[in-house]
Amino acid sequence: MLLGALLLAAAGFVVFSPVPLGTWMSGPRDALWLALGENPHPVKLMVPADTPLSAVALLGVRLFHDPSLSGSGRMSCASCHDPTLAYGPAGSLPVVMGGLHVTTPGFRSVPSLRYLYRQPAFTIGPDVENGNDVVVPLTQQAQAATGHARVLKTALTPQAAATNLVPQGGLFWDGRADTLEQQVNGPLYNPAEMDGGTLQEVARKLATGPYAAQLQQLFGAGLLQNPGMTVDEAMFAIGRYQIEDQSFHPFTSKYDAWLEGKARLTRMELAGYLLFNDPAKGNCAACHLDQPGRDGTPPLFTDHQFEALGAPRNPAIPANRDPNYYDLGICGPYRIDMRASTQYCAMFLTPTLRNVALRRVFFHNGVFRSLEQVLDFYVDRDIHPELFYPRDAAGRVMKYNDIPPQYRANVDTVDAPFDRHPGDQPALTPGEIQDVIAFLDTLTDGYTKSR
Amino acid sequence: MRTFFSKLPTFLGTAAIVSCAGSAALAQGPSYWGSSQTATPIKHLVVIYDENVSFDHYFATYPGATNPSGEPSFRAQRGTPEVNNLANAGLLTHNPNFTNPLNGTNAANPFRLDRTQAATADQNHGYTAEQQAYDGGKADLFPLYTGTATAGGVGAFGTKGQVMGYYDGNTVTALWNYAQHFAMSDDAYTDTYGPSTPGALEAVSGQTNGVDLVVTSSSSYYIQDGAGGLNLISDVDPAYDVCSSTTNTVQMLGRNVGDLLNAKGISWGGFMGGFDLGITNSNGTTGCARTTTSAVTGVTENDYIQHHNWFQYFKSTSNPTHARPASVWSVGRTYDPNGQVDPANHEYDVDDFYAAVRAGNFPAVSFLKAPAYQDGHAGYSDPLDEQAWITKVINFLQRQPQWRDTAVIIAWDDSDGWYDHAFAKTTSRSFDYPADQLNGPGVCGKGTQPLGLAGKPVNGRCGPGTRIPFFVISPWARSNYVSHAYISQASITRFIEDNWLHGQRLGGGAFDATTGSIMGMFDFSGRPNPPLFLDEQTGEPIHNQQGWW
Repeated sequence: MLLGALLLAAAGFVVFSPVPLGTWMSGPRDALWLALGENPHPVKLMVPADTPLSAVALLGVRLFHDPSLSGSGRMSCASCHDPTLAYGPAGSLPVVMGGLHVTTPGFRSVPSLRYLYRQPAFTIGPDVENGNDVVVPLTQQAQAATGHARVLKTALTPQAAATNLVPQGGLFWDGRADTLEQQVNGPLYNPAEMDGGTLQEVARKLATGPYAAQLQQLFGAGLLQNPGMTVDEAMFAIGRYQIEDQSFHPFTSKYDAWLEGKARLTRMELAGYLLFNDPAKGNCAACHLDQPGRDGTPPLFTDHQFEALGAPRNPAIPANRDPNYYDLGICGPYRIDMRASTQYCAMFLTPTLRNVALRRVFFHNGVFRSLEQVLDFYVDRDIHPELFYPRDAAGRVMKYNDIPPQYRANVDTVDAPFDRHPGDQPALTPGEIQDVIAFLDTLTDGYTKSR
Repeated sequence: MRTFFSKLPTFLGTAAIVSCAGSAALAQGPSYWGSSQTATPIKHLVVIYDENVSFDHYFATYPGATNPSGEPSFRAQRGTPEVNNLANAGLLTHNPNFTNPLNGTNAANPFRLDRTQAATADQNHGYTAEQQAYDGGKADLFPLYTGTATAGGVGAFGTKGQVMGYYDGNTVTALWNYAQHFAMSDDAYTDTYGPSTPGALEAVSGQTNGVDLVVTSSSSYYIQDGAGGLNLISDVDPAYDVCSSTTNTVQMLGRNVGDLLNAKGISWGGFMGGFDLGITNSNGTTGCARTTTSAVTGVTENDYIQHHNWFQYFKSTSNPTHARPASVWSVGRTYDPNGQVDPANHEYDVDDFYAAVRAGNFPAVSFLKAPAYQDGHAGYSDPLDEQAWITKVINFLQRQPQWRDTAVIIAWDDSDGWYDHAFAKTTSRSFDYPADQLNGPGVCGKGTQPLGLAGKPVNGRCGPGTRIPFFVISPWARSNYVSHAYISQASITRFIEDNWLHGQRLGGGAFDATTGSIMGMFDFSGRPNPPLFLDEQTGEPIHNQQGWW
């Protein structure tokens, strides 16, 4: 009797756990650990060493928080990249106000500055340089990529798609900067952001402000006579702060603790993790890589590749009042070197999902305001497009209304769950969406105090 | 107890020979495996061949370092000789690369790169671009012609005129410390302009003439030499190497120093990082795709870079399948212990070097190339990773019993196009249009070109090229010494020939016949130098570790 009851309980445990029956059959030990909420294969994560900041990085800290470099005198890097929100945006506006009087709306949502320390440079296809001394221009890389068959992206074997000859890497939503030093120049001079003025003005502020002595000490007595180099060194110092300081790559999320065998996932979180990795369900891990490397390199939840997902046009962005204005990512208008590569129009960089739960605006145009909205879009974009796109005068759903018609073929319709058609079953039920969100919540840093 | 006493006579005998060695200029040293008669006491040469550095890029202000707090510091010893660098030439300010208006907005004076800026963009170091930068010897158009090529890692530093940047002893601390205790040259050059593959070939064959196109889809890496053959001027992969490109590969038709060593049965090897395709790295990569991610640059690079592999370009000394040696005892040898031809054919992984030396099988001549992330090449590598590699190798060698008879050369395959102010008068002319541009379109130098393999003057060997650092580290190296005598990459082959091969030369117009000798950097009389152990992270001296058994 007792044995029977135990067997029944065990069967119930198996059947009602989020772990699929197939996993119980093929890997019962792993399945048991998972069902208990634990990582069956804990690893020691290889995270950057926590060493005291260099003099250059300390200079970078001060510059990062200094609003005096902006035209208004009120905006520093930290104004938009909030240190308490994973260096991402506070508030729920899709674009932030900037400019001389902090009244000019921007064009894209603020990306997080966390976890960029391993970001590769922008290339078409992986590892183009391969130790070669010969530079292959981007246009040539794009040329070499045309006609190449693309491996489908699946969470089962995410590494297979790493060799696809597709755009990858770089910083900003369009990958137009390769280094953190270069990236700083974007917001600094953008009239809709910090609006720092001309290079000469910024250089003058640096040369006459509190940083002058330290800049000279670090980079030479003659530095301040060279405005261009003065600004470059200062921008480098800001980038260096982001490389060295642990707050930009803490790896203190619950998921990191779980990877190291130091935390248990709740039932919902585990269910979400399994859906995240299931190619027939969320298939999220196909692009948002979540497995550590063999040597313990922690996952960054992005494969750094670009995607065109056809997000709806966001009427809350003032620039979108002009029906002829389109933000096309790689092919423009803010990136200018790939305008002729129209096969990449409407493609934007896959961001990390770490700390995504701290955001209130998602995608380059901030059109989604919650993770539910994002996941609804992923699941139902092709099954019920009318939920996301407006209708025209004739009542037709204006699918992909943020992309000019001639580029809509660039949208991903082959990688699950973007491979559905009207009438198909959605990849995730509403309950499963909640599970995935619960899992995404485990990616927020601060679960453990520090490493 | 018995074994100890039976070994005692050998030990005492060896000690007696070793203590007398200092007084004999031409010693017949103790009989170690792999040794043979040598013209000097040096029985083991280890060549550390690194990537892409000009002399001023590392020594512009030597021996003066800025010493900001928090960085490894450097203070020069008394009596440090003066070197021909930017500081002493008065070129840190009012530099012609700043005043020449042709450099446009990229015009810049030399400037200090901080230790936090170890990761930088790569520069342009093409055969033609470098000639244009040297501008007939004025060396004033670097920003215009050899400016930035690749961005480097996400944390890399970049600026206009970046080619004018230099490091000091707070970054290249180990090399500055080696310079204080051993010998270096401020007059060492690449034999010709151009990037890595020509530089690799010069070190072992003194020659870039005699290209055999095996597979080709581009003509960018060679020119018609004007004597019916082809001359290499840029990078290309070695033919038949299983890791090589499938569209462009070459073999070289001349001889190399390995051929000469084989003819005399002298042990030698080429040891490349990543060469053993059977190893799986900790990150799971294996085969030709073995990679390592640099913690300094953040770039993931293949360990093995085939177009750096000196001996792989020659049929006689190549190991195209990366076959493994029969055992650690056959490393360096043409035949394995059973008298069979060893499949590795003198081409091995760097790991095989450590294993062989530890086992007591220390080849006479060894060429070492780091796994790429440590080779010093801007973009994917950097001076800090390079320092860790160099100090690891030299610390290791100084612990070996054979250190007494060992010399280490550290040399570089090209300058990366980094600024250097010094110019060596063109003795190897070339008149190919448009490749040659040193003195004008199609002109490099005045007079006749050097002879090529066929005994006729050939184009494509414009040189000497760019100035590189060059070290001799050995108990027998002069200490805190700077040589001002002209040497080049081919001087490495010349030393091997002079020391082991009675001054034999390769012929066929190879530069070993005309280049300088490094002998002046040694002093075989007097007391040998004590070893210098340096910390791999900081390059600073650590407690000397005595004893060699």
